[in-house]
Amino acid sequence: MKFGKRLKQQIEQSLPGWRDYFLSYKDLKKLVRLISSASPPLECGKAEAEFVCLLNDEIDKFNSFFMEQEEDFIIHHKELQQRIEKVMENGIEKDYKEELAKIRKDIVNFHGEMVLLMNYSNINYTGLAKILKKYDKRTGGVLRLPFIQKVLEQPFFTTDLISKLIKECENTLDSVFPPSVSDAGTLRGEKEALALAGEGIFQNTVAALLTMQEMRRGSSTHSHFSLPPLKFPDSDILHTLQILPPIQIP
Amino acid sequence: METRPALSIQRPGARQMNICGASGALSSSSTVLPSPLTQQPSGVISPLYSNSGVAGHMFSSSSEFSTDLHFPLVQLHEQPPQSPFISQSIDSGTSASLPRSVDSGVFQSASSNHRRASNDSWCTDSLPDFLDFPLSSTIPNNHLDNNNGIVIPSENLDKPNDWPDWADQLITDNDALTSDWSQLLSDASVANPETMSSQQILETNFPVQEPHISQQLPTTSGETCNAAGQSSSANSASAKQRMRWTPELHEAFVDAVNKLGGSERATPKGVLKLMKVEGLTIYHVKSHLQKYRTARYKPETTEEAEKKLTSIEELSSLDLKTGIELTEALRLQMEVQKRLHEQLEIQRNLQLRIEEQGRYLQMMFEKQCKSGMDLMKGTSVTNENPLKESAEAAQNSLSNNNLEVESDNSKTKLSNVAATSGETSQPAKEKQIALETAVLENLEEDDTDVADSPSSKRVKVDRYERTNNP
Repeated sequence: MKFGKRLKQQIEQSLPGWRDYFLSYKDLKKLVRLISSASPPLECGKAEAEFVCLLNDEIDKFNSFFMEQEEDFIIHHKELQQRIEKVMENGIEKDYKEELAKIRKDIVNFHGEMVLLMNYSNINYTGLAKILKKYDKRTGGVLRLPFIQKVLEQPFFTTDLISKLIKECENTLDSVFPPSVSDAGTLRGEKEALALAGEGIFQNTVAALLTMQEMRRGSSTHSHFSLPPLKFPDSDILHTLQILPPIQIP
Repeated sequence: METRPALSIQRPGARQMNICGASGALSSSSTVLPSPLTQQPSGVISPLYSNSGVAGHMFSSSSEFSTDLHFPLVQLHEQPPQSPFISQSIDSGTSASLPRSVDSGVFQSASSNHRRASNDSWCTDSLPDFLDFPLSSTIPNNHLDNNNGIVIPSENLDKPNDWPDWADQLITDNDALTSDWSQLLSDASVANPETMSSQQILETNFPVQEPHISQQLPTTSGETCNAAGQSSSANSASAKQRMRWTPELHEAFVDAVNKLGGSERATPKGVLKLMKVEGLTIYHVKSHLQKYRTARYKPETTEEAEKKLTSIEELSSLDLKTGIELTEALRLQMEVQKRLHEQLEIQRNLQLRIEEQGRYLQMMFEKQCKSGMDLMKGTSVTNENPLKESAEAAQNSLSNNNLEVESDNSKTKLSNVAATSGETSQPAKEKQIALETAVLENLEEDDTDVADSPSSKRVKVDRYERTNNP
């Protein structure tokens, strides 16, 4: 249940519009349990077919969401580029400074959203892989390997374009941000970052990083398909940056 | 059957759609299944609908097919028949796993939960062949590069009487066949707004998806991927047939829009005509244009709003101080994001590599099994386990090695906001490449000794491990 829990956390902390598009891990797990417990050999084929069908539906969900976001990102990216060009041409005016500040904020948030989309892709893939592993384990099937091969080719997993856009974003940073200052500014920066919380993007990014670390903390079922643990040298700072969800008063 | 007469009227390319439509309709109510289908031994559940399977192929070798009006016919002749079947994954595991007497009942129960249909590139060439085609052929699954899934006829499928209307709409809906088609379609769909709404209904009833895209796409054209949305959200019909946009395609779009006088004045039809991209429909352009407009107007309106709200105090020197702090905050946010991105990339590469290895080892294992079977029939089972263990060991060491390398190098300290992350990624990449080559060399070594007994193989793996773990 560890992954399931983590996934649930991630979903809760993700951007509101995204929450419906993650993997229905819990439901699929239930189905696997059902299948394994109640399946005479005759039923196996049918059950597997249904299971595969559901998985395909999930994949479709990921694909359409992903491609939708990707399209938006492509448009937004171009817009940002145009705005930057315009601002660069303008020289030093009052408007220019305001616009530049806005552009900086937009770039960083845009970058963040794209990274979160990659995280989305990754976590859903991981979930799929896990479910398939469970299925094979429980039913003695050999569904995992070929199915995963197929998943690897899906749009939602082929994130090369997004990666490229992210790198381009990082490259334009230098032209938009002033050269970095000394450490003196950093402590203040942390507080400001918390205050900013960039439309939840920053919050989500921190959460995603920490979740990733947690998920790879070496499980009891470590196998050759498990990813080795992550070690962040400064994860304590990440923890201080984490914004915990507000306590709900019933 | 009532379907026959309608089929003969349709245009050649359309025929395959009608076939699909027909079978779609037919399969939804099991009583109407044409007898040839049910008699087939390969246990067809229901014929799979695909147009984008076709499209997928088109885009993968676009030059071949683009100008051929009869391309669907041609293509299908060239390719080995792609029979309808449940899924690649199933077939690889259990051949002919589905009981012959499978009835739509199975899928209706599934479909009540999940109404979307997966498709496969099934469509046949010409009508006469239709009935013979998919069912008597064997199922060569593995060559398929399309996504396979089951068609689940939605329970909302109308009575078979209605399908001729659908068939028309299927034609107008299908955009991926040829350039001629897209022209016809754009004219048709623009000229007939009614078609759009009926498309919505159509797509609700017969959702289609083709999530696969070919990897070798020419960068100038987008790809048509059908990804069915929730069948319940019929209102977002424009999202059903999904186009995977690329920056190049978008550039072409922007150029076209600018030529037509800007985003407000440009019309989808005009843009479509100017762009001259195969497989692009008015549908795609329309939704993209909408997004484009929103993207342009949103920043402007928020800017104006902000200006209105800006009070005089904020324009003082306080602004500057806040500006610096803001910048630092943004920097920090950026660092965290970069970190996450880096880790995601690493993780993704690892996952890819693990799967690759898994596949490779599986191949080797099968090879060994075969040769093992020839030599020592009874012991092939015992050969399995040691090989698998050594495979696991190999993979473990591989993953561990890689990751240690990566995390050592990605020590971007968040407390130091200076962007050193750019520098660290380079050595990491180099080490990664070196490691990869080492692994591949080792694996190749193993490959040549497939016939060896498991114990010698294990020794090899151990040796490999030792060299990588000094």
